[in-house]
Amino acid sequence: MTATMTVTPQTTPSPSPGSTRRRNGRRRREGLTGWLFMLPFAVLFVFVFLIPIIVSVQSSMFAQVPAGDGLYGGGELEDRFVGFDNFVTAASSGAFWVGMGRVVLYAAFQIPVMIVGALALALLLDSFLVRRPGLFRMAYFLPYAIPGVIAAMIWLYLYTPEVSPFMPFLPEGTDLMAPGTMLLSMANMTTWTYTGYNMLIFLAALQAVPRELYEAARLDGATGWQIATRIKIPLVRNAALLAVLLSIIGTIQLFNEPVVMESANSWMGLDYTPMMLTYNSLMGTVSPSGTGIASAYSLLMAVIAGVLAIVYALVQRRKGDV
Amino acid sequence: MTSRKRFARSAIAVTVTAISAFGLAACSAGSGADESAAEGPVEIAYLHRLPDGEGMTPVSEIVERWNEEHPDIRVTATKFDGAASDMILKLETDVKAGSAPCLAQVGYSEVPQLYVKGLLEDVAGEAEQYAGDFSAGAYGMMKVGDAVVGLPQDTGPLVYFYNEAEFEKLGLDVPATLADVTADSAVAAAAGKYVTAFTPDEALNWLSAQSAAAGDTWFSTEGDAWSVDAEGEGSQAVSAFWQQLLDTKQTLATERWGEAFTKALNDGALIGHIGAAWEAGFLLDSLDGTPAEGQWRVAQLPDFGAGEMTGPDGGSGVAVTKGCEHPAEAMEFNAWFNTQIDDLASQGLVVAAAGTPETSEKMLRQFGGQDVLAELATASANLSPTFSYAPGFASLTKMNETAAEVVAGSAEVADIFATGQSSAVAALEDLGLPVAE
Repeated sequence: MTATMTVTPQTTPSPSPGSTRRRNGRRRREGLTGWLFMLPFAVLFVFVFLIPIIVSVQSSMFAQVPAGDGLYGGGELEDRFVGFDNFVTAASSGAFWVGMGRVVLYAAFQIPVMIVGALALALLLDSFLVRRPGLFRMAYFLPYAIPGVIAAMIWLYLYTPEVSPFMPFLPEGTDLMAPGTMLLSMANMTTWTYTGYNMLIFLAALQAVPRELYEAARLDGATGWQIATRIKIPLVRNAALLAVLLSIIGTIQLFNEPVVMESANSWMGLDYTPMMLTYNSLMGTVSPSGTGIASAYSLLMAVIAGVLAIVYALVQRRKGDV
Repeated sequence: MTSRKRFARSAIAVTVTAISAFGLAACSAGSGADESAAEGPVEIAYLHRLPDGEGMTPVSEIVERWNEEHPDIRVTATKFDGAASDMILKLETDVKAGSAPCLAQVGYSEVPQLYVKGLLEDVAGEAEQYAGDFSAGAYGMMKVGDAVVGLPQDTGPLVYFYNEAEFEKLGLDVPATLADVTADSAVAAAAGKYVTAFTPDEALNWLSAQSAAAGDTWFSTEGDAWSVDAEGEGSQAVSAFWQQLLDTKQTLATERWGEAFTKALNDGALIGHIGAAWEAGFLLDSLDGTPAEGQWRVAQLPDFGAGEMTGPDGGSGVAVTKGCEHPAEAMEFNAWFNTQIDDLASQGLVVAAAGTPETSEKMLRQFGGQDVLAELATASANLSPTFSYAPGFASLTKMNETAAEVVAGSAEVADIFATGQSSAVAALEDLGLPVAE
């Protein structure tokens, strides 16, 4: 994002007025070109990011209340400014925190497994042990190309005893969609989808490492294992930070998997994760409902994701300094 | 992870900005309507969610016929592809922006909520003259207090589906009462079969309908406040009935829309089902071409303790939205459209209008030549006249959660109704409406 903004070239002050004008003209042209390049980004950024956030903040301060009296509230709702009431309701909602607990628990075991898996795959593909890295890279990345909801539906079928091709081979009574196993089953889906994606992040970082380092290490007698653990892994630390941060944010907003799973497992409820709670509050299938409370939930979620991401980044940085 | 993140952003973007940004669209749409009011035909937009499937008379064709006969009232029908809740959200934003279609399909259980939200117009004056064309129970579903917001389209009375051949083999009679169902269940269970299924994912509408069939009314008024009673005598009877079947494992406890239900139906383990009338349109599809084709029949719901009465499980009407500029013309079309019973029946609807449409070839084949629609029309006429919905009913989905716990063995059927009671009171209070304690 920032790279596109620094387009204006550095020019030294010029003594001659003629050349200054020419240079100013060129600078202005280059400035204009820069702005033009930025335009598509800026327009989209404003319309799909800034404005929605502003509107969301604004609507979180309002509640829709009946305009009149009686059983049906006069058949009309009015927006009433309620300050931070919606946030109080959201923050004191048991369902919200139970859901948040679920996604944090989910993140605690899903993210490490996925990141370690992605790193291992990336190291393998980068190690010259594999004959056709391009083919494998493609194959590992493929699950990510399948839309999340479709993938979730495929997994739902795989987990359903009546239609699953592999459930008959599992021990009798295995239930992959019971309250005790659901999080694991969903973690499996997420891991399947995103391991390849995170592998690409690591692979890109690995490919940026100068090859001379490996050569020098080999001359010093380092084994392939030592190169991987002593050189490669430390050098992809920043990539790992990025991958984990994206995963934390994504997991807090866990939505596709639980929604599809809920369609066949009523016990999960419509508030299984905070994102589901938010969506269904807006849809009116969870009470309290309306845009006000839904906006409050989503902002609260954003704050929590942000805090978790910052805490993680700080912890990582401190570790890096030591 | 990015796609989930993107979803979140776009969800916020769509849902929240839509509400404000739609204001722009409003200007253009509004001015167009004004012109047509001055001269030329009146334009009526109609948003529906009818299936328009293969072999059905498409809505566009029915509407075209209207337009030919009525050059002064031009109707444009649009099909909404998506869930009912998505359509409500769209109506909400459109009404705020003043660009809503004049007529929209709405589920009966959603009508009070939509009225509270200020999305529906009171057209009691226009509706009155058409009331006689529809079943009284269904017409009542489009009433909110003294206001009438449109006309009913189809109904979803609970009925009883059963496999006649299997029943004969087991020496069972079609159950006439709940006690009969219990007795039949025991006999069938001994042969490894089920004459009912207990479906937690349908708990909200399915169990509330049974409660209604047993004579209960969940929502009534006490002075100027709501009075909620989801745990009345009827609910208690329904609870006891299912609890006994679940305890003895004599009912198929599974999700209605899960694979296990279809599998049990296909392999002949499930030979009876208490379901909504509209299920007749597709319940037996998977049996086509199997020996079981043509063996099933539909009968009236067994007596749940209140005589020949059934409860509403689904069904919808066509309502006039707030801000509609030509409510009289809209209602004229509304009444005409919803009395085209043969066309509507082809869409798989149990029509709310008087008269019995012809049963389709498909139904005759699947139900062994039975006049299915006549049977369903009887059920429709037997709908509880007192049971009605209250605002916030859609948020009673917590009942499904509890019902799933019942299947898992960690709760009792009565708990489902207790959840319904507490959720209903909470929903009304959250909406800022008066509730009598």
